[in-house]
Amino acid sequence: MGFNNQRIALAALLLALAGGLAQAQGFSLREVAPGNFVHVGSLEERSPANGGDQANVGFIVGSRCVAVIDVGGSLPVGQSLRAALRRVTDKPVCYVILTHMHPDHVFGAEAFRAEGAEVVSHGNLPAALAQRLRTYLGALRRDLGDLADGAGIAPVTIAVDVDQERVLDLGERRLRLRAWPVAHTDNDLTVLDEATGTLWLGDLLFVDHTPVVDGSITGFLKVMDALAAIPARAFVPGHGWTATAWPAALAPQRDYLAMVVRDTRAALRARRTMEEAVDTVGASAAPNWTNFDAFHRRNVTAAYAELEWE
Amino acid sequence: MSIEQIRQAMVAAMFALLALPGLCNEKAEPDPARSQYWPPIRQMMFGERPIEDGRDVLRIYLNTRADDASTVPVAVKAQIDQSDGRYIKTVFLIVERNPSPAAGVFHFTPDSGRVQVETRLRFEDFSFVRAVAELNDGKLYEATRWVKAAGGCSAPGGKFRIPENMIGQMKFKFWDDTVEAAKPALVQLMIRHPNESALAADFDPTRTPRFVRSVKVSYAGKTVLTADVDFSLSDNPSFRFFFVPGQQGELEAVVEDTHDKVYVHRATIVEGVPLPGG
Ligand SMILES: [Zn+2]
Repeated sequence: MGFNNQRIALAALLLALAGGLAQAQGFSLREVAPGNFVHVGSLEERSPANGGDQANVGFIVGSRCVAVIDVGGSLPVGQSLRAALRRVTDKPVCYVILTHMHPDHVFGAEAFRAEGAEVVSHGNLPAALAQRLRTYLGALRRDLGDLADGAGIAPVTIAVDVDQERVLDLGERRLRLRAWPVAHTDNDLTVLDEATGTLWLGDLLFVDHTPVVDGSITGFLKVMDALAAIPARAFVPGHGWTATAWPAALAPQRDYLAMVVRDTRAALRARRTMEEAVDTVGASAAPNWTNFDAFHRRNVTAAYAELEWE
Repeated sequence: MSIEQIRQAMVAAMFALLALPGLCNEKAEPDPARSQYWPPIRQMMFGERPIEDGRDVLRIYLNTRADDASTVPVAVKAQIDQSDGRYIKTVFLIVERNPSPAAGVFHFTPDSGRVQVETRLRFEDFSFVRAVAELNDGKLYEATRWVKAAGGCSAPGGKFRIPENMIGQMKFKFWDDTVEAAKPALVQLMIRHPNESALAADFDPTRTPRFVRSVKVSYAGKTVLTADVDFSLSDNPSFRFFFVPGQQGELEAVVEDTHDKVYVHRATIVEGVPLPGG
């Protein structure tokens, strides 16, 4: 644990002891590469106990300003992130970057509104999120109760079109953003900090947490191949954490997705129905992943609906 | 009453019901007879007509715990044979808690062979699914299942945008290698279509949502399946059903959407000859 982390942990502890922000309790940061700070979210399902703190979120500090990458799944999580950021630096936040549309990554936006930052996303994010917003907010309220207060989205001011790159300059630190074709969702965006070679993947990489397919499973595998070719020196998954080096850390997710594709194709060839495929495909992978019951059968459903057209 | 009339009337009526607490928190299965949602829907669709327990007439098959609220496979299977004297004329498939609850109205004839329809539904919330069969004598029979949409009620739309030039693509998928004349054969009709929901949060109310409104399948010029459907069906609507082949004939699907686009797909089916893509 570096000096910064110790200081931050201590500050968080003091805050909690002071009975202040309850949500700051245990809101840890790690500096995964110089200037790259990550908060690793909980692998548990969303509940009032964790307050919507599922996704890995964080920020990158340049000489001029700061880019926040994902804002957490609720206003309290966004506020905790901002408080943690302010313990590290007093530079202005110039960019809030959203890696994709999922609630656990975007709903803390209100915490950063006062910063007046540009909000950056994949070009497909605004429409995809708008379509789902009502149901997403309803589910958040159901799971979090009052902790859902203030959850919402920030209007995107910089959209990166699919297959395009965009460079953001934080002052002596350039971030290379890339908008991917449909994979985890249809609006996945990665951030590469050129100074340190740190690749922020959003949910294009799950570690320990069952990977989720809310886009295209074959697209996901293709995008993973392209990601593996990026010579990253450090990386930030969307969920979970690992000491395994890049790109070897991609292997468990790739193996899982490839297995679902292979076994779903076999089920289709054997003329199994969707229900039969969901009951049989890939259940043996359960011990390798958390939240398997909540997501695996959904993944097979999505894979079947996609692959039956082949 | 057409499904369109039902939809229009219900969407209005549902505004009152939307004020009721959501069912997503229900832990145990509620009593279907005490549902607050059913009486107005029932009134709208069937008036005061009695509806009898349908366990000997039709059954619904689906997982009570749905894995993906945007794609919930459901099967409705008749428990009686179609005969000239007694047959199922219509099956109404209803997702009680959806904003447009009448998901599909399927019409059959004495020649339909085996009455069985499988499709995929969207769920806005935990809900009862009801299948009501109307027999040729006008009697109504009902089957009911409770569905919990796993992982919350969080899946309103398709996974990604379908390019315009792909909308309306269709595929027949067969469950046998070949057909035998006069022996009912299973076929799945797949339709590439976004089946947009009018109730997506961003939906522009001045625009007509684009969803599949009717499906007609015929074999050798005779009707196999006629359905009026709705955006309670998943994107890329899918239907699996039986048809009764002869020695040779054309299987034809005509699909119409709410933007008045008509899509046609045909396959020639010959007894003993390997089925296309089958
Ligand atoms: Zn995600």
